[in-house]
Amino acid sequence: MAEPVIAVAGLTKRFGPVLAVDGLDFSVDEGQVCGLLGPNGAGKSTTLRVLVGLVFADAGQVRLLGRPVRPGDAVLARAGTMIEESAFAPYLSGARNLRLWWEAGGRRWEDADAETALAVADLGSAIDRKVKTYSQGMKQRLGLARALLSAPDVLVLDEPTSGLDPGEMREVRQLLRRVSERGATVLLSSHLLAEVEQVCDHVVVMDKGKLVAAGPVQQLIGASGSVYLEVTNVRRATSTLKKVKGVTRVTPEPPGLAVELDGVKRSEVVAALVHAGVGVETVTTRHRLEDAFLGLVGEE
Amino acid sequence: MVAVFRTELVKQLRRPRTYVALGIAAVIPIILTIALKANPPNPASGEEGFFALAPNSGLFVPVAALRFMSRFFLVLLASLFAGDAVSSDASWGNLRYLLVRPVTRPRLLGAKLGVSALFAVLATLAIVVVGLVAGVIAFGWEGISVPVAGLSQSAGQLVGNLAIATVYVAWGLAAVVSFGFFVSTLTDVPAGGVGAGIGLYIVSQILDAITSLGSIRYALPTHYFDAWDILFFGRGPNAEMLRGVLLQIPYVLVFCALAFWRFQRKDILS
Ligand SMILES: Nc1ncnc2c1ncn2[C@@H]1O[C@H](COP(=O)(O)OP(=O)(O)O)[C@@H](O)[C@H]1O
Ligand SMILES: [Mg+2]
Repeated sequence: MAEPVIAVAGLTKRFGPVLAVDGLDFSVDEGQVCGLLGPNGAGKSTTLRVLVGLVFADAGQVRLLGRPVRPGDAVLARAGTMIEESAFAPYLSGARNLRLWWEAGGRRWEDADAETALAVADLGSAIDRKVKTYSQGMKQRLGLARALLSAPDVLVLDEPTSGLDPGEMREVRQLLRRVSERGATVLLSSHLLAEVEQVCDHVVVMDKGKLVAAGPVQQLIGASGSVYLEVTNVRRATSTLKKVKGVTRVTPEPPGLAVELDGVKRSEVVAALVHAGVGVETVTTRHRLEDAFLGLVGEE
Repeated sequence: MVAVFRTELVKQLRRPRTYVALGIAAVIPIILTIALKANPPNPASGEEGFFALAPNSGLFVPVAALRFMSRFFLVLLASLFAGDAVSSDASWGNLRYLLVRPVTRPRLLGAKLGVSALFAVLATLAIVVVGLVAGVIAFGWEGISVPVAGLSQSAGQLVGNLAIATVYVAWGLAAVVSFGFFVSTLTDVPAGGVGAGIGLYIVSQILDAITSLGSIRYALPTHYFDAWDILFFGRGPNAEMLRGVLLQIPYVLVFCALAFWRFQRKDILS
């Protein structure tokens, strides 16, 4: 089997008293679009910084494209990166910033995928204006453009849609899909479940530096999801549900019940309960991912 | 190495601040020349050394400008270029993007150090060259002969000594540049590195003024800062100047080693 494009094993990073990343393990295989999902402060940015050689891990191993990551490693030429906000030399134009950044790596501008990048930046004539006159969204798009200049094999993006308006967000999502279709592997962090659902095929959920869940998005949030029920008689509902084919687990979650389903429709579950004389007050569809995620972020 | 050096150089060359700094360095000798032309110092009035000689030979205008500006302004400019070399990128949040490339940290740092040093030299040159041109236009290309003061040099000798003095002054900034540069790798606040360079100069000057410190003073990075004026009053480079040149070396080595050592291990969090 081919080695994963990104492999993180036992990654631990401490900032003074703060344990930012705590024994994190995950991997991303070639061609995947993987979301690193977690609330603010979960340790996403720190993880991505370690991944591109900006921050040194206290423990654990991080491999990118099969090589242990070291600052300035040649493998970084094959990665496109955006960590937290995009930033540039403010007194230079967007175009000049891109070009100097590219050439600093010893490459010729003619070899850059400038066409794609400039299309992504979509700045029109503003590309020749000083970056300090740009809005946050313009800088963000220019940052994505910079990450794409090398037609990278792997894209590491930290909250790529932050600072963008809804239209721009949609464009970025389409862009990521195109990049992925071209065969690139994408790891993007986000604190928005919906974004990960829309863009990613795999997801790694983390909180307080630790791994919470990982796997294909379909498996974590797909049809085999769960429902949350509030019923008039919890005990009778529990015994009834356990007999229904396709109900894999029933967990009391006062005041109601969490019911995991596999191949049975919610309406059938409700019908079975009503048939047994149990009144159903609420039915809420839930994704396992959402369960996990909401559990993390607490009541919101 | 060449690629990063070139891009870092272009970044400095396209920065408006660079031209303001070098522009001021170039304008002051012109103002000096105009002032001296309009009000020629009277040799009998006891006017300060080099200024008084300017009307005798335009070649003394750059000498006077160098003496006058090296005492603080040049230190300020050198600190400005070195002290924010790394921290300005950090403050913009751009440093991390320079480092997610296949460019090693020592290479980026070496390029930035080279560019900082180059601009410290350019600032020194700006003062001397503009002073030379303005001085010669105003007062002529002359040798000097003031027998009472034991002073006698041909124009050619003066120019040669001016060249040596320029190199000496530029190299004399090395400790300040390296220290400012080192601090620049530690902070995300550009003013931190700039202030550190200037601070080192001021502290060194103050300590140097306390004669009771004795031989400690000979190790201060600015102790021999003015030793080059012997070139124009005496016969040639002397042992003091040699000590001044050599004294910079340990400071440069230590501060640069610290900068590279620190930067190599640092988490880039800006
Ligand atoms: N430079 C730093 N110094 C101290 N603590 C930090 C630093 N950077 C991040 N942290 C802490 O590490 C944790 C993880 O931060 P981060 O990786 O930025 O999370 P996320 O990107 O998921 O929001 C947070 O608790 C944060 O406060
Ligand atoms: Mg973050």
